[in-house]
Amino acid sequence: MKKSLRRAAASGLAILIATLVLFPIVDITLEDCLVRTTPFVLCGLAVAVPARAGLVNIGGEGQFTFGMVVVTATVLLVGDAIDAVLLLPLLAVAGLLGGAVWAGIAGLLRVTVKLNEALSTLLLNFVSPLILAYFVFGPWRDRSSFNLPVSKPYPDAAQLPTFGLTQVHLGIVFAVVAAVLAWAVLDFTRWGFTVRVVGGNPEAARRAGLPVKRIVFVALLIGGALAGLAGMVEVTGVERVLRPNIGVGFGYIGFLASWLVGHRPLELLASSFLLASISVTGDSLQINAGLPSTSVYVLMAVVLLLVLAIRGLITRGRAD
Amino acid sequence: MLLEDVLAGTVRSGISVLYAAEGELISERSGVINLGMEGCMLTGALAAFATASATGSLLLGVLAAAGGGALLALVHAVVVITCRANQLASGLAVSFLGLGLTSWLGAPYVSQSISPLNRVNIPVLSAVPFAGPVLFQHDVLTYMGLALGPLIWLFLYRTRAGLILRATGEDGAVAFAYGHSPTLVRYLAVVFGGMLAALGGAQLVLAYTLNWVENITVGRGFVAVALVIFAGWEPLRATVGAFVFGGSLALQLRLQARGVDVSPFLLNMAPYVLTLAILVVASRGRARRPPGEIRAVFGTSGPGSTRSAVDA
Amino acid sequence: MLKEEVVVSSRMSPLARRKSTIGVIVAVGVAIAAAVGCGSSSGSPASKEKGHETIGFLYVGPHNDYGYNQAAYAGSLAVKRAFPAAKILEAENVPETAEAERVMEKMIRDGATILFPTSFGHLGPAMNVARRHPDVRFLHMGGLKTAANLGTYFGTIYDTQYAVGQAAGMATKSNKLGYVVAFPIAQTLLNVNAFERGAQSVNPRAKTYVVFTGSWCDPGKQAEASNALIDQKIDVLEQHQDCTKTVIQTAERRGIFTTGYHVDASSLAPHGWLTGSEWDWGPLMVQMVKIVEDGRFRGSPYSGIYRAGVPSGVIKLAPFGAAATPAIRKQVTATYDKLKAGWIPFKGPIRDQSGKVRVAVGVTPNRHQLESTDYFVQGVVGKIPGGG
Repeated sequence: MKKSLRRAAASGLAILIATLVLFPIVDITLEDCLVRTTPFVLCGLAVAVPARAGLVNIGGEGQFTFGMVVVTATVLLVGDAIDAVLLLPLLAVAGLLGGAVWAGIAGLLRVTVKLNEALSTLLLNFVSPLILAYFVFGPWRDRSSFNLPVSKPYPDAAQLPTFGLTQVHLGIVFAVVAAVLAWAVLDFTRWGFTVRVVGGNPEAARRAGLPVKRIVFVALLIGGALAGLAGMVEVTGVERVLRPNIGVGFGYIGFLASWLVGHRPLELLASSFLLASISVTGDSLQINAGLPSTSVYVLMAVVLLLVLAIRGLITRGRAD
Repeated sequence: MLLEDVLAGTVRSGISVLYAAEGELISERSGVINLGMEGCMLTGALAAFATASATGSLLLGVLAAAGGGALLALVHAVVVITCRANQLASGLAVSFLGLGLTSWLGAPYVSQSISPLNRVNIPVLSAVPFAGPVLFQHDVLTYMGLALGPLIWLFLYRTRAGLILRATGEDGAVAFAYGHSPTLVRYLAVVFGGMLAALGGAQLVLAYTLNWVENITVGRGFVAVALVIFAGWEPLRATVGAFVFGGSLALQLRLQARGVDVSPFLLNMAPYVLTLAILVVASRGRARRPPGEIRAVFGTSGPGSTRSAVDA
Repeated sequence: MLKEEVVVSSRMSPLARRKSTIGVIVAVGVAIAAAVGCGSSSGSPASKEKGHETIGFLYVGPHNDYGYNQAAYAGSLAVKRAFPAAKILEAENVPETAEAERVMEKMIRDGATILFPTSFGHLGPAMNVARRHPDVRFLHMGGLKTAANLGTYFGTIYDTQYAVGQAAGMATKSNKLGYVVAFPIAQTLLNVNAFERGAQSVNPRAKTYVVFTGSWCDPGKQAEASNALIDQKIDVLEQHQDCTKTVIQTAERRGIFTTGYHVDASSLAPHGWLTGSEWDWGPLMVQMVKIVEDGRFRGSPYSGIYRAGVPSGVIKLAPFGAAATPAIRKQVTATYDKLKAGWIPFKGPIRDQSGKVRVAVGVTPNRHQLESTDYFVQGVVGKIPGGG
């Protein structure tokens, strides 16, 4: 326990230092960074937890979006009748459920017809934004908003509270708690241990009599649920209304964040923070340096590729 | 007539995906999965468009596309073959790299124009009713694409080089035992695959959209990877798969144009849902064996892998 | 030659591996900071001097898309020319989500006191930022909601679309016109209706076929949609998209007529271009900036919901192309003159696709009613998703 904490602290510190170097130079605010870190952490966990079971969940985008759809459905159904104290937890559950269901489709295909989840989750990423668009252009469209494809604004009870006058909302607490929980469960519980066994050596797991299919399925569900929670947090804490194009790219960036730190939840907090600050730099790049905001993808990709390459080279002891 | 139009539209919208799928197939047959195909398609598209608009030469554009795609794929090759990094993570990062670079470098070209790659009606054949408009009234890159499936089939199963490629994908050690370098084979396969995807991107902009905007491929490269699995790593089936995708795209737009009462959003889902459905059905059939080395990439989750404990 | 996988014992210890990861990340982080630091300029405090304001423009797409955003960008150039000492900040590809809020906040940090969010969907984000910064003036393009420091404006471009429809109706031989539309919102539905009514006024048998692409700018879909329509014997193609080149060039290469929208793109279609509707935002934007600078924003028409009609010059008929015959020119010019004098081409009876009367005989709806359109008129072939 002490060793893993120490490792996490060391790498976290290093990444934080790197990130904070950016701040004064690039004119991004800590506020924006923290707000952006929240969904990245959750989407990163969505990749990390299944990864420990040996699964590749590229479906963060789709699970995030479907989570938002279910959350909005809940808000439209009961949002006006319940207080925030009850409503927000209910919405969190809705987000978890939505993401889990979406991942569950891929999980089901995986355990029944052995369809690789990397592919099914990837394809499903293209489908849930269309479902969102269907609702937001159709039955959920806010008629008083003159036909903009936007849902009715969320009632106050359905909005995550923010800290003081900043934009930083309660979601950051969800993210940190989720990361700590994931770390604790994966590293210290019996179930977490079985997950890691399945991920490390499925044959041994089977021989040991572990219910491998069930573990795999549940791991994927949890991953999807976390991405769905990310969607809930983004839509109740930042957007406060349902529209198309919320959170585009978050799922994939979560994938990158998780791979950067070898799928370790505590360090994921730091890599998410790094990627969030790079992501938020996009505005500055555009307005001050004239680069398109998607250029940040170049930075993120280069960072990951370098880390992958160097890590791979060192680990395998090759000097090709 | 509707069927004829839909089929012609199928070829038009599916051909760029076909290029990427065949390219991915070659790469995977050597044992490397490349999720960076989206990036390669975008690179090819921008390189082709920018070069064609700057020089006026479509041929130079195509050559530039091939070069650009090869270069980006080379990055992936280095990271996964030489550095032995995880193929899925690297591929995704490469796609991001391609998206970011092309958005950045391509910004000035959004307003540029090119003289389009026009259709060349094949004499005699293009006048054949039905088959004519569907198969023989396209541009040069499309004709090349249509020939890709059979050509790659011939290459894989009737040439020595193809045999070496397949052997490398099954088990690198075996290929090595026969005196071939799996490393070299894989490098060549990945780079060539990226080149093909880039040509698909080139066809998309030079012959079809005649325009460049960032992210112009909107996911076609990723779909291509899925199609290779659907095709069971067989080049002729990959052609069919690409046209299933292209066909659903063409069909839904034509249904709309006829006033059919279905939400365009639901219709827009059709290509992906259909691909997924077919993947499911295909997986239930006789086990599609992936090349042996690919199974390692998927780890415990290889499609149809007989050795996987998870699916036992 | 092939190296076999090295045995576990030579594997690096996890701590060392992690250290190397961190090393790389730190190195890259510093490199990023250096690169961006060199390229960026730091924000300067807002200058309160007249003529030295910092003005920010936001576009939802690329500024050179030959369409909506290009028209807005042209407006910003006019502002730049009129106020040479002002600092102009620009951001393109700003999505219609809370991202836009961040971009606007950043511009305000850089000293912007006037902001021009130019896309419909920027309204929500702009309203939020406006609430937080009461001293900044927002001039939003397209919406219908205002705040104390936020005014919203648009032009009644559907008026000239009527004239454009007349050109289409006269030019068509097959009596089939095509419209490639992005999304079913009031503005697009209104344009299609105006176009069809214009066509019908000169050619009662003309029908307009509509295809929704589901995106403001997806050239792949635009190309297929255009081809699909042309395969059905459409011979005049119009569009409501942000980026317009693909549809126009597809129509041109297949030898049919084109009408334009947003900008004058006649150079893209030398054979098939008839005419089109285009924006001229420059003078309006310059006027708005002047009013804000003079401190007269409150109480001016621009602080409310401002609609510029054809008489104001914000909406123009694009130049005629070679394909426009003298008869077409005569008819369309006559209609344009009527529009410039203030005529609104929407007098009832107007029936929707099911035959129901939506606008009674002799009634002309007001702008508010028009911009709540949720149906297609008779003669339009196509289904509005989500019900109409």
